[in-house]
Amino acid sequence: MSRVKNKNRLSPLVAATLLAMPLGTNAAEDYGSLKAEIEDLRNAVKESSEWKNTDSVVHLAGYGAFGYADQETEDGRFDQVLFAPIFHYQYRELMMLESELEIATGTDGETEVNLEYLTLDLFLNDYMTLVGGKFLSPLGQFRQNLHPSWINKLPSTPAGYGHDGAAPLADVGIQLRGGIPLGKMRTNYALYIANGPELAAEGGEIHAIESEGFTRDEDGDKVAGGRLGFLPVPKLEIGLSAATGNVAVTESTPPLPASGDPVRDYDVLGADLAFKAGNLDFRGEYIRQEVAAAAASVAAEAAEWTAWYAQAAYQFTPNKLELVARYSDFDSPHADEDQEQWAVGVNYLFASNVIAKIAYEWNDGLEGEATDQNQALFQLAYGF
Amino acid sequence: MKHPNKLTALFFIIFVAAGTVPSPAGWAQQNTPPAGDYIRGVKAWGDNCSRCHNMRDPKEFRDDQWKSIVTHMRVRAGLTGQDARDILVFLQTSN
Ligand code: HEC
Repeated sequence: MSRVKNKNRLSPLVAATLLAMPLGTNAAEDYGSLKAEIEDLRNAVKESSEWKNTDSVVHLAGYGAFGYADQETEDGRFDQVLFAPIFHYQYRELMMLESELEIATGTDGETEVNLEYLTLDLFLNDYMTLVGGKFLSPLGQFRQNLHPSWINKLPSTPAGYGHDGAAPLADVGIQLRGGIPLGKMRTNYALYIANGPELAAEGGEIHAIESEGFTRDEDGDKVAGGRLGFLPVPKLEIGLSAATGNVAVTESTPPLPASGDPVRDYDVLGADLAFKAGNLDFRGEYIRQEVAAAAASVAAEAAEWTAWYAQAAYQFTPNKLELVARYSDFDSPHADEDQEQWAVGVNYLFASNVIAKIAYEWNDGLEGEATDQNQALFQLAYGF
Repeated sequence: MKHPNKLTALFFIIFVAAGTVPSPAGWAQQNTPPAGDYIRGVKAWGDNCSRCHNMRDPKEFRDDQWKSIVTHMRVRAGLTGQDARDILVFLQTSN
């Protein structure tokens, strides 16, 4: 009996404890998970601001393209496969390393790898950056600003702006670059000293001027020059380029004598213009490279390479459909390289950086040469 | 090597002089360059970022990626450091 009684007296306590127990565990659990959630949130916030706040940043950019060409007298072929990764490493607002590789499949199936550029950019102050290494030629606009496939509005380069053309491609040396506001007008500048180009001779004539960028300087004297850009209004840029120095013949058939070839004067002059009005994008550029005569040279005569182009692009449906027309003209010391070209194209922009291009080129060169062949071109380009 | 030509000498003088212009080396130590400004950034972005190529969508990249892209473009397009910081604030706010 008493046991029963006892039991009865205990039962409310037990019940209360039993009731209270799950309640207590629940609260502790809730508190615990809330704490964990807050901790997670705190980490997430910290992580997301970490992206903004690190001193060192690494970024992979670049572009890729493939293309098809169908020439008048040859069978059409998929003629371009290009991968151009760009590496960026940045330490604070002090240093940036930028480098682009151009990896392409050659006609024979070999993979060609070129160091397009590698520069260390040291930010001296808000208006001046010291750039050293191998850089795209700062003369003119096409090479440094327009050649990537996703930027160039046609699948091809203007006549005289490719390899062995009139426009210098790259150089190895140092540059000072930057921008200075002059009242309402913006200006930008790029001044450089570099090893400079070299000449190739064939059969007693200068055959080509090579400007891929060399780490040797056979003529011993540097080339110095640069470009000044003026933007009286933001939609209009006028640029002037000039460079001067010395070059020498370094390659020749028949071969050079052991003493080498004499040094000769080298001068470049260029002008460029870019203009935007609504959906119209207009640009034009002129460049001339010349080397003086040198009586004792295997190729004694002076030589001159000149090229210019004018291009208009109109986006009928902004960021979707674009029509392009370009005229270009290249004059060199050799008639078989000279070319006059009209090119028209239609571009479909899947996105601002994913562009399909169809174009047709009317080429006028020396009869029988590749420079005289009209061609249809297709290209798909992606900049990332 | 032959004697350096006059032009090379002149350019070396310019380069050395450039090094004496007040530099952000101080900022780098303190990590405090003047801040970017969103409103100025909107304008500088509109004025500059479609000059050479199609305008790229601010949403295309993360904050850290825009940091190196804008620095890359600062060198390429000859923007001032302040232009670059202003544009960066705009892009990092709009992505
Ligand atoms: C002077 C011409 C020019 C101007 C102005 C310019 N860009 Fe570029 N931009 C380029 C070129 C050229 C490339 C391709 C770089 C290469 O292939 O080496 C590029 C590449 C890019 C890329 C691809 C990623 C990368 O870093 O390569 C982005 C994104 C970009 N630009 C955004 C911008 C923004 C934002 C602005 C405004 C601050 C701007 N650009 C202004 C010329 C320009």
